[in-house]
Amino acid sequence: MTQGLLVLWIVSSLAIVFETRTYRLIIYFSIFSLITSVAYFLLGSPDVAMAEAAIAAFASIFFIICIEKYYSRKENVEKDSAKGESLARKAVKAVPALVLCVGLFFLVIYFIPGIEPSHYLKHLYLQRFMTDVGGENAVTAIYLGYRVYDTLFEALILVIAVVAVTHMSYSEKTQVADGSHSEIETSRVAALSLRIICPIIVAFGAYLIINGHISAGGGFQGGLALATFFICRYMVYDIYDISVKNVLQWEEFIFAIIIVVTAIAVFLGAATYMPAAIVPIYQSVYLIIMNLLIGLKVACAFFVLFYRYITIERE
Amino acid sequence: MIVFWILAVLLSAYITRAFMGPTIWDRLLGLNLIASKVIVLIIVVASIYDMSFLLDFAIIYALSGFIGIIFLALFFSKSRLDKKREKKDGH
Amino acid sequence: MGIENIWQLIGNIIIGFGVFCMIFGAVSLFVLKDFYPRILVASKIDTVGLLSFVIGFAFRHGLSFFTGKLFIILIIMLVLNPFVAHILARSAYRSGHELAAEAEEGEKS
Repeated sequence: MTQGLLVLWIVSSLAIVFETRTYRLIIYFSIFSLITSVAYFLLGSPDVAMAEAAIAAFASIFFIICIEKYYSRKENVEKDSAKGESLARKAVKAVPALVLCVGLFFLVIYFIPGIEPSHYLKHLYLQRFMTDVGGENAVTAIYLGYRVYDTLFEALILVIAVVAVTHMSYSEKTQVADGSHSEIETSRVAALSLRIICPIIVAFGAYLIINGHISAGGGFQGGLALATFFICRYMVYDIYDISVKNVLQWEEFIFAIIIVVTAIAVFLGAATYMPAAIVPIYQSVYLIIMNLLIGLKVACAFFVLFYRYITIERE
Repeated sequence: MIVFWILAVLLSAYITRAFMGPTIWDRLLGLNLIASKVIVLIIVVASIYDMSFLLDFAIIYALSGFIGIIFLALFFSKSRLDKKREKKDGH
Repeated sequence: MGIENIWQLIGNIIIGFGVFCMIFGAVSLFVLKDFYPRILVASKIDTVGLLSFVIGFAFRHGLSFFTGKLFIILIIMLVLNPFVAHILARSAYRSGHELAAEAEEGEKS
Protein backbone atom coordinates (compact mmCIF):
# COMPACT_ATOMS: atom_id res chain seq x y z
CA MET A 1 0.00 0.00 0.00
CA THR A 2 2.98 2.27 0.48
CA GLN A 3 4.10 1.75 -3.13
CA GLY A 4 0.91 3.35 -4.48
CA LEU A 5 1.58 6.40 -2.37
CA LEU A 6 5.17 6.57 -3.62
CA VAL A 7 3.88 6.72 -7.21
CA LEU A 8 1.70 9.72 -6.28
CA TRP A 9 4.76 11.23 -4.61
CA ILE A 10 6.84 10.97 -7.78
CA VAL A 11 4.01 12.39 -9.89
CA SER A 12 3.67 15.45 -7.66
CA SER A 13 7.41 16.06 -7.58
CA LEU A 14 7.52 15.88 -11.39
CA ALA A 15 4.70 18.42 -11.51
CA ILE A 16 6.82 20.74 -9.38
CA VAL A 17 9.82 20.32 -11.67
CA PHE A 18 7.93 21.19 -14.88
CA GLU A 19 5.83 24.09 -13.59
CA THR A 20 7.08 27.61 -14.15
CA ARG A 21 4.28 29.76 -12.69
CA THR A 22 5.01 30.81 -9.13
CA TYR A 23 1.57 30.64 -7.55
CA ARG A 24 0.87 27.17 -8.84
CA LEU A 25 4.26 26.10 -7.56
CA ILE A 26 3.29 27.03 -4.00
CA ILE A 27 0.14 24.91 -4.16
CA TYR A 28 2.00 21.99 -5.72
CA PHE A 29 4.60 22.25 -3.01
CA SER A 30 1.90 22.03 -0.35
CA ILE A 31 0.49 18.90 -1.97
CA PHE A 32 3.97 17.43 -2.27
CA SER A 33 4.79 17.96 1.38
CA LEU A 34 1.42 16.53 2.49
CA ILE A 35 2.14 13.36 0.54
CA THR A 36 5.71 13.34 1.86
CA SER A 37 4.53 13.44 5.44
CA VAL A 38 2.03 10.62 4.85
CA ALA A 39 4.86 8.59 3.33
CA TYR A 40 6.99 9.23 6.43
CA PHE A 41 4.03 8.20 8.54
CA LEU A 42 3.44 4.92 6.70
CA LEU A 43 7.15 4.08 6.53
CA GLY A 44 7.37 4.24 10.30
CA SER A 45 8.87 7.53 11.44
CA PRO A 46 5.97 9.40 13.04
CA ASP A 47 7.98 12.22 14.63
CA VAL A 48 9.39 13.36 11.30
CA ALA A 49 5.92 13.14 9.75
CA MET A 50 4.53 15.43 12.42
CA ALA A 51 7.28 18.00 11.91
CA GLU A 52 6.84 17.83 8.12
CA ALA A 53 3.09 18.41 8.38
CA ALA A 54 3.59 21.50 10.51
CA ILE A 55 6.41 22.79 8.33
CA ALA A 56 4.26 22.38 5.21
CA ALA A 57 1.83 24.94 6.56
CA PHE A 58 4.55 27.40 7.47
CA ALA A 59 6.59 26.97 4.29
CA SER A 60 3.75 28.29 2.13
CA ILE A 61 3.53 31.39 4.33
CA PHE A 62 7.26 31.99 3.98
CA PHE A 63 7.11 31.54 0.21
CA ILE A 64 4.47 34.26 0.21
CA ILE A 65 6.85 36.53 2.13
CA CYS A 66 9.57 36.04 -0.46
CA ILE A 67 7.21 36.69 -3.38
CA GLU A 68 5.87 39.84 -1.79
CA LYS A 69 9.37 41.19 -1.23
CA TYR A 70 10.46 40.29 -4.76
CA TYR A 71 7.53 41.79 -6.62
CA SER A 72 7.30 44.86 -4.46
CA ARG A 73 10.93 45.70 -5.22
CA LYS A 74 10.71 45.08 -8.97
CA GLU A 75 7.31 46.20 -10.13
CA ASN A 76 7.49 45.40 -13.82
CA VAL A 77 9.19 42.07 -13.93
CA GLU A 78 8.42 40.00 -16.98
CA LYS A 79 10.11 36.66 -16.75
CA ASP A 80 8.52 33.93 -18.77
CA SER A 81 11.63 32.57 -20.35
CA ALA A 82 10.38 29.02 -20.26
CA LYS A 83 7.48 29.78 -22.59
CA GLY A 84 9.55 29.91 -25.76
CA GLU A 85 10.98 26.47 -25.29
CA SER A 86 10.24 23.87 -27.89
CA LEU A 87 8.83 20.47 -27.08
CA ALA A 88 12.11 18.75 -27.93
CA ARG A 89 14.07 20.75 -25.38
CA LYS A 90 11.42 20.01 -22.76
CA ALA A 91 11.71 16.32 -23.56
CA VAL A 92 15.50 16.50 -23.27
CA LYS A 93 15.07 18.15 -19.87
CA ALA A 94 12.53 15.55 -18.87
CA VAL A 95 14.58 12.46 -19.58
CA PRO A 96 17.25 12.76 -16.83
CA ALA A 97 14.64 13.63 -14.21
CA LEU A 98 12.48 10.69 -15.22
CA VAL A 99 15.43 8.30 -15.21
CA LEU A 100 16.48 9.57 -11.79
CA CYS A 101 12.99 9.22 -10.32
CA VAL A 102 12.35 5.75 -11.70
CA GLY A 103 15.81 4.64 -10.64
CA LEU A 104 15.29 5.91 -7.11
CA PHE A 105 11.89 4.24 -6.97
CA PHE A 106 13.27 0.82 -7.88
CA LEU A 107 16.26 1.37 -5.62
CA VAL A 108 13.99 2.05 -2.66
CA ILE A 109 11.67 -0.85 -3.32
CA TYR A 110 14.01 -3.62 -4.40
CA PHE A 111 17.61 -3.06 -3.43
CA ILE A 112 17.80 -1.44 -0.03
CA PRO A 113 16.07 -4.24 1.93
CA GLY A 114 18.55 -6.70 0.43
CA ILE A 115 21.57 -5.15 2.11
CA GLU A 116 22.50 -6.78 5.40
CA PRO A 117 23.23 -3.96 7.85
CA SER A 118 25.32 -4.18 10.97
CA HIS A 119 23.07 -4.07 14.02
CA TYR A 120 25.65 -2.75 16.45
CA LEU A 121 24.36 0.82 16.74
CA LYS A 122 20.75 -0.32 16.70
CA HIS A 123 21.32 -2.53 19.73
CA LEU A 124 23.37 0.16 21.42
CA TYR A 125 20.65 2.80 21.11
CA LEU A 126 17.38 0.90 21.14
CA GLN A 127 18.10 -1.43 24.03
CA ARG A 128 19.89 0.93 26.36
CA PHE A 129 18.10 4.26 25.88
CA MET A 130 15.67 3.71 28.73
CA THR A 131 18.42 3.37 31.31
CA ASP A 132 20.79 5.87 29.70
CA VAL A 133 18.51 8.79 28.97
CA GLY A 134 15.04 7.86 30.20
CA GLY A 135 11.65 8.33 28.67
CA GLU A 136 9.86 5.89 26.40
CA ASN A 137 10.40 7.52 23.02
CA ALA A 138 13.69 6.52 21.41
CA VAL A 139 13.70 9.57 19.15
CA THR A 140 13.57 11.90 22.15
CA ALA A 141 16.34 9.88 23.78
CA ILE A 142 18.48 10.35 20.70
CA TYR A 143 17.98 14.06 20.16
CA LEU A 144 18.19 14.99 23.83
CA GLY A 145 20.66 12.37 24.98
CA TYR A 146 23.05 10.84 22.49
CA ARG A 147 22.93 13.64 19.93
CA VAL A 148 22.48 16.67 22.14
CA TYR A 149 25.25 18.54 20.31
CA ASP A 150 23.21 18.32 17.12
CA THR A 151 20.19 19.75 18.88
CA LEU A 152 22.26 22.66 20.17
CA PHE A 153 23.53 23.49 16.71
CA GLU A 154 20.07 23.20 15.15
CA ALA A 155 18.76 25.62 17.75
CA LEU A 156 21.65 27.96 16.96
CA ILE A 157 20.88 27.78 13.25
CA LEU A 158 17.23 28.68 13.87
CA VAL A 159 18.31 31.68 15.96
CA ILE A 160 20.68 32.84 13.20
CA ALA A 161 17.99 32.44 10.53
CA VAL A 162 15.49 34.49 12.51
CA VAL A 163 18.01 37.24 13.20
CA ALA A 164 18.94 37.35 9.50
CA VAL A 165 15.31 37.59 8.38
CA THR A 166 14.60 40.32 10.91
CA HIS A 167 17.52 42.42 9.74
CA MET A 168 17.06 41.90 6.01
CA SER A 169 13.40 42.88 6.13
CA TYR A 170 14.07 45.72 8.51
CA SER A 171 11.37 48.29 9.02
CA GLU A 172 11.07 51.26 11.32
CA LYS A 173 7.79 50.09 12.83
CA THR A 174 8.45 47.26 15.23
CA GLN A 175 4.88 47.40 16.46
CA VAL A 176 1.58 48.92 15.40
CA ALA A 177 -0.92 49.73 18.11
CA ASP A 178 -3.92 49.97 15.81
CA GLY A 179 -4.52 50.27 12.12
CA SER A 180 -6.15 48.55 9.20
CA HIS A 181 -7.84 45.32 10.09
CA SER A 182 -6.94 42.01 8.67
CA GLU A 183 -9.24 40.75 5.97
CA ILE A 184 -10.63 37.92 8.03
CA GLU A 185 -11.97 40.31 10.63
CA THR A 186 -14.92 41.28 8.46
CA SER A 187 -16.28 37.74 8.31
CA ARG A 188 -18.08 36.70 11.48
CA VAL A 189 -18.16 33.00 10.63
CA ALA A 190 -14.38 32.93 10.37
CA ALA A 191 -13.88 34.80 13.64
CA LEU A 192 -16.24 32.46 15.50
CA SER A 193 -14.55 29.34 14.12
CA LEU A 194 -11.11 30.57 15.05
CA ARG A 195 -12.27 31.44 18.55
CA ILE A 196 -13.39 27.85 19.01
CA ILE A 197 -10.13 26.49 17.57
CA CYS A 198 -7.66 28.69 19.48
CA PRO A 199 -7.94 27.02 22.94
CA ILE A 200 -7.75 23.57 21.36
CA ILE A 201 -4.52 24.54 19.64
CA VAL A 202 -2.91 25.78 22.87
CA ALA A 203 -4.01 22.69 24.81
CA PHE A 204 -2.74 20.38 22.10
CA GLY A 205 0.60 22.15 21.81
CA ALA A 206 1.15 21.90 25.57
CA TYR A 207 0.17 18.24 25.43
CA LEU A 208 2.68 17.57 22.66
CA ILE A 209 5.50 19.28 24.54
CA ILE A 210 4.90 17.76 27.96
CA ASN A 211 4.10 14.30 26.62
CA GLY A 212 7.03 14.39 24.20
CA HIS A 213 9.26 11.92 26.01
CA ILE A 214 6.52 9.29 26.35
CA SER A 215 4.73 9.32 23.00
CA ALA A 216 5.49 10.83 19.62
CA GLY A 217 5.86 14.57 19.48
CA GLY A 218 8.32 16.81 21.23
CA GLY A 219 9.56 20.35 21.49
CA PHE A 220 9.72 21.31 17.83
CA GLN A 221 6.25 20.07 16.91
CA GLY A 222 4.64 21.56 20.01
CA GLY A 223 6.41 24.85 19.37
CA LEU A 224 4.99 24.95 15.84
CA ALA A 225 1.50 24.37 17.28
CA LEU A 226 1.99 27.28 19.70
CA ALA A 227 3.14 29.49 16.82
CA THR A 228 -0.06 28.53 14.99
CA PHE A 229 -1.92 29.85 18.00
CA PHE A 230 -0.22 33.23 17.64
CA ILE A 231 -1.26 33.38 13.99
CA CYS A 232 -4.88 32.64 14.91
CA ARG A 233 -4.72 35.22 17.66
CA TYR A 234 -3.63 37.81 15.13
CA MET A 235 -6.35 36.83 12.70
CA VAL A 236 -9.22 36.87 15.20
CA TYR A 237 -8.54 39.66 17.62
CA ASP A 238 -6.35 41.64 15.24
CA ILE A 239 -3.81 42.37 17.95
CA TYR A 240 -0.45 43.56 16.78
CA ASP A 241 0.87 44.91 20.02
CA ILE A 242 3.81 42.63 20.77
CA SER A 243 7.21 44.06 19.96
CA VAL A 244 9.28 41.87 17.66
CA LYS A 245 12.49 43.10 19.23
CA ASN A 246 11.46 41.88 22.69
CA VAL A 247 10.45 38.47 21.40
CA LEU A 248 13.79 38.18 19.62
CA GLN A 249 15.61 38.97 22.85
CA TRP A 250 13.49 36.38 24.66
CA GLU A 251 14.42 33.81 22.07
CA GLU A 252 18.14 34.44 22.47
CA PHE A 253 17.74 34.30 26.27
CA ILE A 254 15.96 30.93 26.04
CA PHE A 255 18.73 29.65 23.79
CA ALA A 256 21.29 30.61 26.43
CA ILE A 257 19.24 28.74 29.07
CA ILE A 258 19.16 25.66 26.83
CA ILE A 259 22.95 25.66 26.64
CA VAL A 260 23.29 26.07 30.40
CA VAL A 261 20.80 23.28 31.15
CA THR A 262 22.54 20.97 28.71
CA ALA A 263 25.91 21.73 30.24
CA ILE A 264 24.70 21.09 33.78
CA ALA A 265 22.76 17.94 32.94
CA VAL A 266 24.96 16.18 30.42
CA PHE A 267 28.50 17.36 30.94
CA LEU A 268 28.43 16.91 34.69
CA GLY A 269 27.16 13.39 34.15
CA ALA A 270 24.58 13.67 36.90
CA ALA A 271 23.49 10.05 36.67
CA THR A 272 26.81 8.87 38.03
CA TYR A 273 26.74 11.06 41.15
CA MET A 274 23.14 10.41 42.14
CA PRO A 275 21.52 7.63 44.14
CA ALA A 276 19.93 5.14 41.80
CA ALA A 277 16.42 5.75 43.13
CA ILE A 278 16.37 9.42 42.07
CA VAL A 279 17.77 8.92 38.58
CA PRO A 280 14.50 8.13 36.68
CA ILE A 281 12.72 11.17 38.17
CA TYR A 282 15.70 13.34 37.39
CA GLN A 283 15.79 12.06 33.80
CA SER A 284 12.09 12.75 33.24
CA VAL A 285 12.43 16.26 34.66
CA TYR A 286 15.42 16.92 32.40
CA LEU A 287 13.55 15.70 29.29
CA ILE A 288 10.45 17.75 30.10
CA ILE A 289 12.44 20.91 30.79
CA MET A 290 14.44 20.57 27.58
CA ASN A 291 11.31 19.92 25.52
CA LEU A 292 9.61 22.91 27.11
CA LEU A 293 12.55 25.22 26.40
CA ILE A 294 12.91 24.04 22.81
CA GLY A 295 9.17 24.44 22.27
CA LEU A 296 9.17 27.99 23.60
CA LYS A 297 12.18 28.87 21.47
CA VAL A 298 10.65 27.50 18.28
CA ALA A 299 7.38 29.28 19.04
CA CYS A 300 9.26 32.57 19.51
CA ALA A 301 11.20 32.06 16.27
CA PHE A 302 8.16 31.37 14.12
CA PHE A 303 6.27 34.16 15.84
CA VAL A 304 8.98 36.63 14.77
CA LEU A 305 9.02 35.29 11.20
CA PHE A 306 5.25 35.56 10.96
CA TYR A 307 5.13 39.11 12.31
CA ARG A 308 7.60 40.14 9.64
CA TYR A 309 5.01 39.02 7.11
CA ILE A 310 2.35 41.10 8.80
CA THR A 311 4.60 44.16 8.67
CA ILE A 312 5.16 43.65 4.96
CA GLU A 313 1.43 43.19 4.38
CA ARG A 314 0.51 46.41 6.15
CA GLU A 315 3.08 48.68 4.57
CA MET B 1 -8.22 -2.59 3.74
CA ILE B 2 -10.79 -2.07 0.98
CA VAL B 3 -11.40 1.37 2.47
CA PHE B 4 -7.70 2.09 2.19
CA TRP B 5 -7.59 1.38 -1.54
CA ILE B 6 -10.73 3.42 -2.17
CA LEU B 7 -9.07 6.29 -0.31
CA ALA B 8 -5.95 5.98 -2.45
CA VAL B 9 -8.05 6.19 -5.64
CA LEU B 10 -9.91 9.22 -4.28
CA LEU B 11 -6.60 10.85 -3.36
CA SER B 12 -5.32 10.44 -6.90
CA ALA B 13 -8.58 11.88 -8.27
CA TYR B 14 -8.22 14.98 -6.12
CA ILE B 15 -4.56 15.34 -7.10
CA THR B 16 -5.61 15.19 -10.76
CA ARG B 17 -8.09 18.00 -10.14
CA ALA B 18 -5.48 20.02 -8.31
CA PHE B 19 -3.00 19.68 -11.17
CA MET B 20 -5.37 20.32 -14.08
CA GLY B 21 -7.81 22.72 -12.45
CA PRO B 22 -8.42 25.66 -14.78
CA THR B 23 -8.26 28.38 -12.14
CA ILE B 24 -6.11 28.78 -9.05
CA TRP B 25 -9.20 28.33 -6.86
CA ASP B 26 -9.79 24.82 -8.17
CA ARG B 27 -6.26 23.97 -7.20
CA LEU B 28 -6.79 25.30 -3.69
CA LEU B 29 -10.02 23.29 -3.43
CA GLY B 30 -8.10 20.18 -4.44
CA LEU B 31 -5.48 20.93 -1.79
CA ASN B 32 -8.17 21.29 0.88
CA LEU B 33 -9.80 18.00 -0.06
CA ILE B 34 -6.42 16.23 -0.12
CA ALA B 35 -5.73 17.48 3.41
CA SER B 36 -9.03 16.08 4.70
CA LYS B 37 -8.43 12.76 2.89
CA VAL B 38 -5.05 12.50 4.60
CA ILE B 39 -6.74 12.81 7.99
CA VAL B 40 -9.18 10.01 7.12
CA LEU B 41 -6.29 7.86 5.93
CA ILE B 42 -4.47 8.28 9.23
CA ILE B 43 -7.64 7.38 11.16
CA VAL B 44 -7.96 4.21 9.07
CA VAL B 45 -4.33 3.23 9.73
CA ALA B 46 -4.68 3.93 13.47
CA SER B 47 -7.83 1.81 13.56
CA ILE B 48 -6.20 -1.09 11.72
CA TYR B 49 -3.27 -1.21 14.16
CA ASP B 50 -5.51 -0.16 17.12
CA MET B 51 -2.96 2.36 18.41
CA SER B 52 -4.55 5.45 19.85
CA PHE B 53 -1.40 7.60 19.87
CA LEU B 54 -1.44 7.63 16.08
CA LEU B 55 -4.53 9.83 16.30
CA ASP B 56 -2.34 12.70 17.52
CA PHE B 57 -1.12 12.99 13.95
CA ALA B 58 -4.64 13.39 12.65
CA ILE B 59 -5.17 16.20 15.15
CA ILE B 60 -2.00 18.05 14.22
CA TYR B 61 -2.73 17.66 10.49
CA ALA B 62 -6.17 19.14 11.08
CA LEU B 63 -4.86 21.99 13.20
CA SER B 64 -1.88 23.05 11.11
CA GLY B 65 -3.14 22.17 7.64
CA PHE B 66 -5.82 24.81 7.49
CA ILE B 67 -3.59 27.77 8.29
CA GLY B 68 -1.58 27.50 5.09
CA ILE B 69 -4.69 27.19 2.93
CA ILE B 70 -6.26 30.24 4.57
CA PHE B 71 -3.17 32.33 4.01
CA LEU B 72 -2.88 31.25 0.38
CA ALA B 73 -6.55 32.13 -0.19
CA LEU B 74 -6.27 35.55 1.42
CA PHE B 75 -3.07 36.27 -0.47
CA PHE B 76 -4.41 35.23 -3.87
CA SER B 77 -7.57 37.27 -3.40
CA LYS B 78 -5.50 40.41 -2.98
CA SER B 79 -2.96 39.88 -5.66
CA ARG B 80 -3.32 41.50 -9.05
CA LEU B 81 -0.70 39.34 -10.65
CA ASP B 82 -2.86 36.29 -10.28
CA LYS B 83 -5.62 37.61 -12.53
CA LYS B 84 -3.17 38.60 -15.24
CA ARG B 85 -1.51 35.22 -15.31
CA GLU B 86 -4.71 33.22 -15.31
CA LYS B 87 -6.09 35.27 -18.19
CA LYS B 88 -2.86 34.86 -20.10
CA ASP B 89 -3.27 31.10 -19.96
CA GLY B 90 -6.47 31.39 -21.94
CA HIS B 91 -8.53 28.83 -20.07
CA MET C 1 -24.19 -13.03 17.27
CA GLY C 2 -22.93 -10.98 20.19
CA ILE C 3 -23.53 -7.37 21.03
CA GLU C 4 -20.03 -6.41 19.76
CA ASN C 5 -20.84 -7.75 16.32
CA ILE C 6 -23.92 -5.56 16.11
CA TRP C 7 -21.89 -2.47 16.97
CA GLN C 8 -19.30 -3.46 14.35
CA LEU C 9 -22.04 -3.92 11.77
CA ILE C 10 -23.49 -0.47 12.53
CA GLY C 11 -20.01 1.03 12.28
CA ASN C 12 -19.35 -0.68 8.96
CA ILE C 13 -22.64 0.61 7.54
CA ILE C 14 -21.83 4.18 8.59
CA ILE C 15 -18.30 3.91 7.13
CA GLY C 16 -19.83 2.60 3.88
CA PHE C 17 -22.08 5.65 3.79
CA GLY C 18 -19.01 7.87 4.24
CA VAL C 19 -17.18 6.17 1.37
CA PHE C 20 -20.30 6.62 -0.79
CA CYS C 21 -20.37 10.36 0.00
CA MET C 22 -16.67 10.77 -0.75
CA ILE C 23 -16.97 9.02 -4.11
CA PHE C 24 -19.79 11.39 -5.01
CA GLY C 25 -17.59 14.32 -4.03
CA ALA C 26 -14.78 13.08 -6.28
CA VAL C 27 -17.17 12.55 -9.20
CA SER C 28 -18.66 16.01 -8.77
CA LEU C 29 -15.20 17.52 -9.10
CA PHE C 30 -15.03 16.25 -12.67
CA VAL C 31 -18.66 16.48 -13.76
CA LEU C 32 -19.39 20.06 -12.77
CA LYS C 33 -17.99 22.77 -14.98
CA ASP C 34 -17.37 25.75 -12.73
CA PHE C 35 -15.70 26.58 -9.46
CA TYR C 36 -18.68 27.60 -7.32
CA PRO C 37 -20.79 24.47 -7.93
CA ARG C 38 -17.68 22.40 -7.39
CA ILE C 39 -16.84 23.91 -4.02
CA LEU C 40 -20.48 23.70 -2.94
CA VAL C 41 -20.92 20.02 -3.72
CA ALA C 42 -17.41 18.79 -3.02
CA SER C 43 -16.86 20.41 0.36
CA LYS C 44 -20.37 19.69 1.63
CA ILE C 45 -20.31 16.02 0.67
CA ASP C 46 -16.74 15.71 1.85
CA THR C 47 -17.55 17.09 5.30
CA VAL C 48 -20.45 14.64 5.65
CA GLY C 49 -18.20 11.80 4.52
CA LEU C 50 -15.46 12.64 7.00
CA LEU C 51 -17.87 13.00 9.92
CA SER C 52 -19.59 9.70 9.14
CA PHE C 53 -16.15 8.06 8.88
CA VAL C 54 -15.24 9.27 12.35
CA ILE C 55 -18.60 8.23 13.85
CA GLY C 56 -18.33 4.82 12.21
CA PHE C 57 -14.89 4.19 13.69
CA ALA C 58 -16.17 5.35 17.07
CA PHE C 59 -18.91 2.71 16.84
CA ARG C 60 -16.39 0.06 15.89
CA HIS C 61 -14.14 0.74 18.88
CA GLY C 62 -16.76 1.17 21.57
CA LEU C 63 -16.16 3.24 24.69
CA SER C 64 -12.38 3.63 24.99
CA PHE C 65 -9.54 6.15 24.89
CA PHE C 66 -9.51 5.79 21.11
CA THR C 67 -13.09 7.05 20.87
CA GLY C 68 -12.32 10.07 23.05
CA LYS C 69 -9.58 11.18 20.69
CA LEU C 70 -11.86 10.51 17.74
CA PHE C 71 -14.39 12.93 19.20
CA ILE C 72 -11.74 15.64 19.52
CA ILE C 73 -11.06 15.17 15.80
CA LEU C 74 -14.81 15.26 15.17
CA ILE C 75 -15.18 18.63 16.91
CA ILE C 76 -12.14 20.11 15.16
CA MET C 77 -13.22 18.99 11.69
CA LEU C 78 -16.82 20.05 12.31
CA VAL C 79 -15.53 23.58 12.85
CA LEU C 80 -12.64 23.70 10.41
CA ASN C 81 -13.88 22.03 7.25
CA PRO C 82 -16.81 24.40 6.54
CA PHE C 83 -14.63 27.29 7.68
CA VAL C 84 -11.93 26.64 5.09
CA ALA C 85 -14.55 26.19 2.37
CA HIS C 86 -16.13 29.48 3.43
CA ILE C 87 -12.81 31.33 3.26
CA LEU C 88 -12.03 29.83 -0.16
CA ALA C 89 -15.38 30.76 -1.71
CA ARG C 90 -15.36 34.19 -0.11
CA SER C 91 -11.89 35.15 -1.27
CA ALA C 92 -12.63 33.78 -4.74
CA TYR C 93 -15.71 35.99 -4.90
CA ARG C 94 -13.86 39.04 -3.63
CA SER C 95 -11.04 38.62 -6.10
CA GLY C 96 -13.52 38.90 -8.95
CA HIS C 97 -13.89 35.29 -10.03
CA GLU C 98 -17.25 34.90 -11.78
CA LEU C 99 -19.45 32.08 -12.93
CA ALA C 100 -18.98 31.33 -16.61
CA ALA C 101 -22.66 31.97 -17.44
CA GLU C 102 -22.73 35.24 -15.51
CA ALA C 103 -19.56 36.42 -17.21
CA GLU C 104 -21.12 35.84 -20.64
CA GLU C 105 -24.23 37.78 -19.65
CA GLY C 106 -22.09 40.62 -18.42
CA GLU C 107 -20.29 40.80 -21.76
CA LYS C 108 -23.57 40.82 -23.72
CA SER C 109 -25.27 43.60 -21.77
